Amino acid sequence: MGDRGRRQDGVTRRSVLAGAAALAASSCGPRSASPPLRFWATSYEGDYAPHLMPAFTAATGIKVDVQSVPSTATHEKMLTAFAGGALPDVFVLPSGWIGEFAMIGALAPVPALDYVEDIVPSALALAQIEGKNFAVPWSAAPQVQFYRRDLLRDAGYDTPADTWTAWREMGRAIKHRRPDEFVFLTLLNWPDTLFSMLYQTGMTMLRERDTRGNFRSPEAEFAFAFYLSLFTEKLAPRALSTEVQDAFAAFAQGRYAVWPSWPSLLLDLHRRRAEIPRERWGVARLAGPNGFGPAAMIASNVAVSARTTQPESAWALVRHLTSTATELRFQQLIGNLPARETAWTLPQLQVPMLRPFAEQMRQPAMAPKIVEWERIQIEVQLVAEHVVRGLLTIPQALATIDERIDQILAKRRALVEAGRIT
Amino acid sequence: MTRPAMTGQERTAWLFTGPVLAIILAVLVLPVTLALALSLTDYSIYALADWDNVKFVGLGNFAELLRTALFWRALANTALFAVLGVPMAIGASLGAALLLHDATVRWKPLWRVALFVPYVTSVVATAVVWRFLLNTRFGLINYALGWLGLPPADWLGDPHASIPAILLFVTWKIFGYNMIVFTAALSAVPQDLMEAARLDGASRWGRFRHVTLPAIGPTLLLASVMSVAGFLQIFAEPYVMTLGGPAQSTVTVLYFMFDEGFKWWNLGQASAVAMILFVLILAITFVETRIGKRNAWL
Repeated sequence: MGDRGRRQDGVTRRSVLAGAAALAASSCGPRSASPPLRFWATSYEGDYAPHLMPAFTAATGIKVDVQSVPSTATHEKMLTAFAGGALPDVFVLPSGWIGEFAMIGALAPVPALDYVEDIVPSALALAQIEGKNFAVPWSAAPQVQFYRRDLLRDAGYDTPADTWTAWREMGRAIKHRRPDEFVFLTLLNWPDTLFSMLYQTGMTMLRERDTRGNFRSPEAEFAFAFYLSLFTEKLAPRALSTEVQDAFAAFAQGRYAVWPSWPSLLLDLHRRRAEIPRERWGVARLAGPNGFGPAAMIASNVAVSARTTQPESAWALVRHLTSTATELRFQQLIGNLPARETAWTLPQLQVPMLRPFAEQMRQPAMAPKIVEWERIQIEVQLVAEHVVRGLLTIPQALATIDERIDQILAKRRALVEAGRIT
Repeated sequence: MTRPAMTGQERTAWLFTGPVLAIILAVLVLPVTLALALSLTDYSIYALADWDNVKFVGLGNFAELLRTALFWRALANTALFAVLGVPMAIGASLGAALLLHDATVRWKPLWRVALFVPYVTSVVATAVVWRFLLNTRFGLINYALGWLGLPPADWLGDPHASIPAILLFVTWKIFGYNMIVFTAALSAVPQDLMEAARLDGASRWGRFRHVTLPAIGPTLLLASVMSVAGFLQIFAEPYVMTLGGPAQSTVTVLYFMFDEGFKWWNLGQASAVAMILFVLILAITFVETRIGKRNAWL
């Protein structure tokens, strides 16, 4: 519908232009009437992407219409847009969604291998679906911890501890000095901290060709027990993100000393440096059960809609956005970490503050690449919230999770058994 | 057997009702029928990939729903919203209307506007303000409680306090509308009956119970029907204030449907939820009108 409407639009505009040209009887030919490319990106990437476009338009003459999509509604907005035939020509997808959008036929395959040459291997591994490329990695965002240097120093620590027990011990030391405040800023509807812990135990979350839950395991129990202890010891708050209206301000005011978060926080730290000076915070890899290990990683990828009417322009835009030069510019603008390997050899990224990111990027957690994964993560976190609030015990919770996952995966199981999908 | 030809009058009647009937067919009957059809299939995200992945499952979605704990939870939460919210909202509206109706009140238009304003403000904007008011640590409401010597409540963080907290907000937001409706109804209460009751020595409560209430009965019924339907479809407030939390204590039926349908694209399942909600609202409205008929309000 939308496509047809647009095409008619183009025809009308072209005929109007032609008519105008004929009327004026001028010697110039009719101008190209192709509509601007539409590009969607989420949160900061969407907000700042317009800064990357003038260079592209200057080089190619192609105009780009950028829309920033709010992160909380991106998934449903994109799915609805696909169902309604209104997906933009080019858009940014987190790696966890590539499988889903490829499965429904929303993505055009990457036309040539050189698009994905020189990509950080972990980012490429997250993006590929059964060895095929449907999107070009743009940036990599491993979960790390941001910490308050001053608060840690007061408790006798230069950097955060790297094992779980020592990390919690550090939390106790900080809490002991500041009993009214919390230590770890991880909220009850943010699944990533719990998932990083689960990944660090090395557990396999699904079984039987990813058609059933596999949470009733000693590893999951171990991770849940550790996660729960942070809340029972009041090191982390029993709160949702709707209650902590401005998490950044809470961190800046010292109400939390450690914030497991993403590179996107670098932009906040830059923009709101009046609230927290540079020397008061640092970055480190997340603690693991026995030292550093894998952690959740979100990678942004640029994809082209399978229904775009201007594939050549669209892929040109992808090439521009994922070039080393553009990625470095975006790194300067919003702290995005480039997915191009070459970028990491240049002086701009050779700064100590980025080293934990660079190291963690080499060791990402590999989430199951199934359509339902996004939902499963949210369900697991909901059950974890029940545990933290004392409504379920850990064994009950793990059984509930497996039951819920089996329910969510019922359709997938039927299709896998019928041999329709893998 | 031939049917008698249409008379001119009949033709005219069809001509006039035709457009409306066509619109009702296109925007009401057709979508509802399609939703009913959808609710009998297992339409999911896999159907976007390939229509062959859709299967007819009969009442399977409904059976599945009855097995889903969260659906029951959502039903219970919605019932709680309606059971507490309808009396709260109607009581507040009627109370405010009665106060404003009193002859001694001055600047009536000003009060009416002031009390009506929340109704016409954006839900999201007011919800954000209320989230600040309800904040455990810095909120004005807990500050006021502290003033009265009461301990602070974790309004949006305690699964037991979250529904009352949202209801406070919803009541404040919507009572202005019914207040205006009641104000209109109150001005139609026959003054001679009121005078007669007063002369006969009826108390304030007696006059309200036996003169005012019967006179505004039909309006009260209408307001309660609309409020029940509104509360059963409550969505935006929990969506903006709590995202269904804490511990899913504010997930309502519509919220559940939104998640299933638009977030996860299980449109078969979501349509089944819509059908159940439709039947529920229909049944409750039916009961309400029966009560109205018994009281000779209709």
